[in-house]
Amino acid sequence: MMSIRPLAAALVMGLLVSGLLPGSVLAAAPPLVEAPKDGPPRVTVALISDAASIEPGSTFWVGLHQRIASGWHTYWINPGDSGEPPSIEWKLPDGFVAGPIVWPRPERLPVGPFMSFGYEREVVLPIQMTAPASLTIGADVTLRGHASWLVCEKICIPEEADIALSLPVVAGPPAPSTTAPAVEQARRLVPTLSPWAASLSASPETVSIRIAAPGLAAERIAEAWFFPMRWGVIDHAAPQTVAVDRRGITLRSARGQLPQGPASDVDGVLVIQERLDQGPVTQAFTIRAAVGGAATGGSLTLAAAIGLAILGGLILNLMPCVLPVLSIKAIALLSHGHSSPSVVRRHGLAYTVGVLASFSVLAVVLIGLRAGGAEIGWGFQLQSPLVVTALAYVLFALALSLSGLLVIGARLTGLGHGLASRPGYSGTFFTGALATVAATPCTAPFMGAALGFALTQPPFVALAVFEALGLGLALPFLALSLAPTWRRFLPKPGRWMERLRQVLALPLYGSVAWLVWVVSRQAGPEGATLVLAGLVLIALAAWLHHGTRSVSRRWRRAAVALALGCVAAAVALGPIAASSASSAAAAPPRGARWEPFTPERLAELRARGTPVFINATAAWCITCLVNERVALHSPAVADAFARKGVVYLKADWTSKSPKIAALLESFGRSGVPLYVVYGKTLGNPQVLPQVLSERAVIEAVDNL
Amino acid sequence: MRETMSRRHFLTTTGTLILVGQVASTVGPSPLWGAAVAKVGEPAPDFTAPSTKGTPMSLGAYKGKVVVLEWTNHECPYVRKHYETGNMQALQREATGQDVIWLTLISSAKGEQGFVSAAQADELTATRKAAPTAVLLDEKGTVGHLYGATNTPHMYVVDKTGMLVYAGAIDDRPTTRRADVQGATNYVRAALDSVAAGQPVKTPVTRAYGCTVKYS
Repeated sequence: MMSIRPLAAALVMGLLVSGLLPGSVLAAAPPLVEAPKDGPPRVTVALISDAASIEPGSTFWVGLHQRIASGWHTYWINPGDSGEPPSIEWKLPDGFVAGPIVWPRPERLPVGPFMSFGYEREVVLPIQMTAPASLTIGADVTLRGHASWLVCEKICIPEEADIALSLPVVAGPPAPSTTAPAVEQARRLVPTLSPWAASLSASPETVSIRIAAPGLAAERIAEAWFFPMRWGVIDHAAPQTVAVDRRGITLRSARGQLPQGPASDVDGVLVIQERLDQGPVTQAFTIRAAVGGAATGGSLTLAAAIGLAILGGLILNLMPCVLPVLSIKAIALLSHGHSSPSVVRRHGLAYTVGVLASFSVLAVVLIGLRAGGAEIGWGFQLQSPLVVTALAYVLFALALSLSGLLVIGARLTGLGHGLASRPGYSGTFFTGALATVAATPCTAPFMGAALGFALTQPPFVALAVFEALGLGLALPFLALSLAPTWRRFLPKPGRWMERLRQVLALPLYGSVAWLVWVVSRQAGPEGATLVLAGLVLIALAAWLHHGTRSVSRRWRRAAVALALGCVAAAVALGPIAASSASSAAAAPPRGARWEPFTPERLAELRARGTPVFINATAAWCITCLVNERVALHSPAVADAFARKGVVYLKADWTSKSPKIAALLESFGRSGVPLYVVYGKTLGNPQVLPQVLSERAVIEAVDNL
Repeated sequence: MRETMSRRHFLTTTGTLILVGQVASTVGPSPLWGAAVAKVGEPAPDFTAPSTKGTPMSLGAYKGKVVVLEWTNHECPYVRKHYETGNMQALQREATGQDVIWLTLISSAKGEQGFVSAAQADELTATRKAAPTAVLLDEKGTVGHLYGATNTPHMYVVDKTGMLVYAGAIDDRPTTRRADVQGATNYVRAALDSVAAGQPVKTPVTRAYGCTVKYS
């Protein structure tokens, strides 16, 4: 006690001498009953402002400046195990409105076995002040209030003081005052709204808080601490263990004194200290943790994930990328109407095995690459222009075959009379594989959540979910082949089948055109041109192979050799096309209503309380493109965005991007599309369905 | 059968491991968490502490009676708010008048704020016109830690069956302002009323407010 008093006195003297507190009244603490009668106050206060004058009708910041004697502390809004936050009773001139205290991030102050949350040495508590429009220019206005606070070292002393600040009324924006830097510094210490979803789960002994903050480097997190805004949820004094992984941060601590777990969302401040090259940087975020872990899609059960995967696979059959491939196979079965039910059944099984086998390959590659640290998800192979080029070639050859310009497709598609004479199960098997490859650009509803879940699970569980998806994809065809009675309803084979085949070539040509566009987005116009040249070479090869069937054997041999040469040349063009680098996707076109997504931009908008719409998309994702056409780019949606001041961020995943992969993962997804709406205030973002309607978007935006 | 056995063995082993892990992760330097701290809805832990009259007193002796535990520190501004307005003494009289046992506990360590000798404690009771059944001295903080008492005042109510039915603040105005005593909702009075009426306590746990208990 004795050592405190001279210190505090010296502090007050210092302040008075240096004249640091203009226009303010020092804490003239009246002789309180509680305080030792002979002691000076432990805290000296002043009311400061960021503006040197007041403009009528304007809003400005004032601050309660506390200078706290060494070893003593004052309190945050949640003081911790004991204590009391400061409060101000305003006595303002008519028309002035004071906002609440905006609390700078607190410090942890262990006192014996207890934990306090508060401030030491010095703190400015910012308050927003609104002036009435009816002020007289040239007059002086005095803002008055009565501040009271508790200051503790080991013992606690309640203190209070009248505060006042006089400012002249001046027309026009005010100049910054001499105390403006202190107010601005304090406002920088106020936590910003977190851009991340958070959830809280409680066991009888522990509490876990999961913050979906992807992309934080574990080795750089020096410290993380969650300060709850209310008492009883978390034991304030218990240590908080921090686990950082690719998907975010998990804090674990002991349960608070409340016997029941929290019934409503828990607000708090997350303070993270990062070790950066230029030294440690501390950031604070306001977090609202949803109770029960419902913040992300990572809470599915295995059974639910498998159910969703089967359903998603079924719907995948109707997607524009799969339908032509499937139709071809259906024709084959149809043309095969005379063969025995057992042969048809075997074809069905061969197709299913083909789908499942290719899904296994896909899953093993995907899981393996992810285990190696690659930031990839569903449809990842289409991020490579090489794969897109190969897919374009294969679909083009298939289309030529359906047009009757090429017969090598017979085996691949199981078409024509070859099937009647030979079982051709291998052809059916590869149709299954082809269906899988063609399906990857599409995300059907329900799939996203299931695959997102799968990729967070151990490899075998992930594989099971992938196989369930394959099973769903194969199911309609398998069902048809197992129940031969359906064939009674089909017309007899004839010329109509030939025509249908030719017509079905057209969606395939369309798919090729789309894939060329995808390459143009990934590798620029040069790359796309090379792929088009490759397609011409394939057409030439097809003609050489098909159109020279009746010539002499010598010429035929030469033609086939030449055709193979054409194919080889086309294949060689692929890597060259892929290597033409492009930054096509980065910049939005002139007049676009969207901005490219970056985590920094999102954090900045969230910090300002600006509502945000995120569209995670890719040129190779047909579902995404359909959604953009049908729902996102309509004038009504643009109006809704404008009405609510929503900033539209586009996360284009056409080419690889770890930042976008991390964004997807933070929502428990592994692929596009993903649509997220952030409101103005604290709270978890809303995830919209993967098949989007104009109404769904407008409703979500209007509800902000 | 062998399979069942091995599975059971597996479950027990993992269960034990998890338990050990949890205990290991929660036991630390502070006795307030991890250690067996009194919980509302569970039997109140028994204790024995010397009274200012020199006789050891234990909670177990009062089975069949309602007991109020009050942690205090006469120098704490929050405690002074309730004593200098007569609020605490009125509640003590009201309770003891209804055959409730009121034990005031002082857990301040020697040399810390609020530490008093038996004689000083009795003098405080006399000068403040307090009316507890007894004042118990807990300078080692044993009882305080057993109950997880963090603040002064920190209030507990034990019912006739020995169950802890209330823990927390005296009322809902966490300030040092004397004027706030008027119109506050007194949680201890509400808990005593519920217990007397044979009803469950409506607000069984609240945030205790005040000064930290000055443990050593």
